[in-house]
Amino acid sequence: MSINLDDLSLYQKLRNFLFFCRIFIAQNQAMEDMLFYDRLQFAFTITFHYIFPQLTMGLSLMIVYFKWKYLRNKIEKYNNAAKFFMKIFAVNFTMGVVTGIPMEFQFGTNWAKFSELTGGIIGQTLAMEGMFSFFLESSFLALFIFGEKLMGQKLHFLTGLFVFIGSWASGWFILATNAWMQHPVGHEVLENGKFVLDNFSELFTNPWLIPAFLHNQMASVVTSAFVVASIGAFYILRNKQTEYGKLFLKTGVIFGLISSLLVAFPTGDWNAKNVAKYQPGTFAAMEGIFETEHAGAEIVLIGQPNMLDKKLDNKIAVPNILSFLTYQDWDRQIAGMDQFKAEELPDNIPALYYSYHIMVGLGTIFIGVMFVALFFLWRKKLFTMKPLLWMIMFLVPFPYIANITGWYTAELGRQPYLVYGLLKTSDGISPTVSSGNTLFTLLGFVALYMLLGLLFLVLVGKTINEGPNHQKH
Amino acid sequence: MTGTLISLISIIIGIISANTFGSIFKKYSLGFKGNTLIGVFGSILLIKTFGRLGFDPWSIMNNGDFDTFRLIINILFSALGGILGLVVSKFIVSKMNRNSSNN
Repeated sequence: MSINLDDLSLYQKLRNFLFFCRIFIAQNQAMEDMLFYDRLQFAFTITFHYIFPQLTMGLSLMIVYFKWKYLRNKIEKYNNAAKFFMKIFAVNFTMGVVTGIPMEFQFGTNWAKFSELTGGIIGQTLAMEGMFSFFLESSFLALFIFGEKLMGQKLHFLTGLFVFIGSWASGWFILATNAWMQHPVGHEVLENGKFVLDNFSELFTNPWLIPAFLHNQMASVVTSAFVVASIGAFYILRNKQTEYGKLFLKTGVIFGLISSLLVAFPTGDWNAKNVAKYQPGTFAAMEGIFETEHAGAEIVLIGQPNMLDKKLDNKIAVPNILSFLTYQDWDRQIAGMDQFKAEELPDNIPALYYSYHIMVGLGTIFIGVMFVALFFLWRKKLFTMKPLLWMIMFLVPFPYIANITGWYTAELGRQPYLVYGLLKTSDGISPTVSSGNTLFTLLGFVALYMLLGLLFLVLVGKTINEGPNHQKH
Repeated sequence: MTGTLISLISIIIGIISANTFGSIFKKYSLGFKGNTLIGVFGSILLIKTFGRLGFDPWSIMNNGDFDTFRLIINILFSALGGILGLVVSKFIVSKMNRNSSNN
């Protein structure tokens, strides 16, 4: 239907104009709602999912260590420790598989446009993750749990090693996907807007990938070290399976201190330098630099972003440190957010800033706690220091929080893009899936995940309660 | 979208069926932990393998119309997956133990 504007009165023209404005605003609002709920659903499902892989990746390394120690000195408790933690690994792995399935589906349902445009790139790495890592991990996991007597100790060690390789390879492929989204390389954009792979090796030699992978893996070792140490502390405090309690606590503290230090330096430092180099607007936002300082940038320890006045409230900062840490030059200028256009900056600066500072703050606390614990271990007082044992036991949720806020930092920092600088998040959603549909399924996920979470706690609780002495296989 | 939820429900049905079967037929039980883990993988395996015959989550929600009959078939296959998974796993575990004791 066409309207001849000359036939209409000014009043009618104005009414029509307002009517079309209302439709435009409503459509825009609907799009914003869709984007918001799609992002919310993905954030919820991936946050819940990442509780599990972060433990399996780190724990697989510690299982290999226990099994290796057993092969060397033939002390049975190391073998029992390896088998005990492999049971916890199996529960985590299964929960990771269950919660990973919605992630796979969401690429097709909520993010169909993103999958359509970038499938030529991310399809490669995600398929490799499924084909190589998942099958390697799951096959050898079953062999490790059931096949010890059949295979003998050396082959049993090898199956544990392959579980470790599979779980870390899984992390590698996921990080390769994410690294391409953060710093896209080795691709070509076709006329229809689709991304295709131009150089396969560039995908895996992406300068973003290696530091991100190492940082992520070390952080997962921190989580597993805290889990192992806290189970040890629990046994000692309950005066139950104390021999294993001491072994777990000692191993957890040593792994915890080494990995906490490696998370900060060199891997964390390397990552931050990459952000400063490739995403300078994000770097300014996560560090809370609103205004460019001419002679060296300060590092903010505490402060609250005030987005109205474009400043940090109640700030405590140390001058020139950020310039030195980033460029090894005390007086080097670092661009503040005032140097960037609004669309070049992340769309939720306070969330990014807090995520980053929570991660860094917790990481610093982990180094401190593990250093103190190692000191008392050296002085042979750790096993009788009840306050420290309670602290180690109750600190166990915090490495999970640090890992998840670390991922929030990476993902919020990349916004408003899905593929940095090339594809906006708002252009990647499925245009036909309504926000109501997404909200309904989100509520469904919350309910089902609560059930799964409860099941997970029961299974892990039972395993811990039975303890490493209770080994059937 | 709802298809994704159905896939999770299938897994939970697999967990329930494996545990129920294990508690009724004790000789097939691998304990609560073992039954639960086998229930997850058994249901996924059967639904992934045979779901395309017409009872996978997407077919159930075909064109946005909820198909109750297909959902019932999906639930039955998920339950069967959990049970079969348990029977096969128990068979493999007992074979492995028998072989190792022969060695």
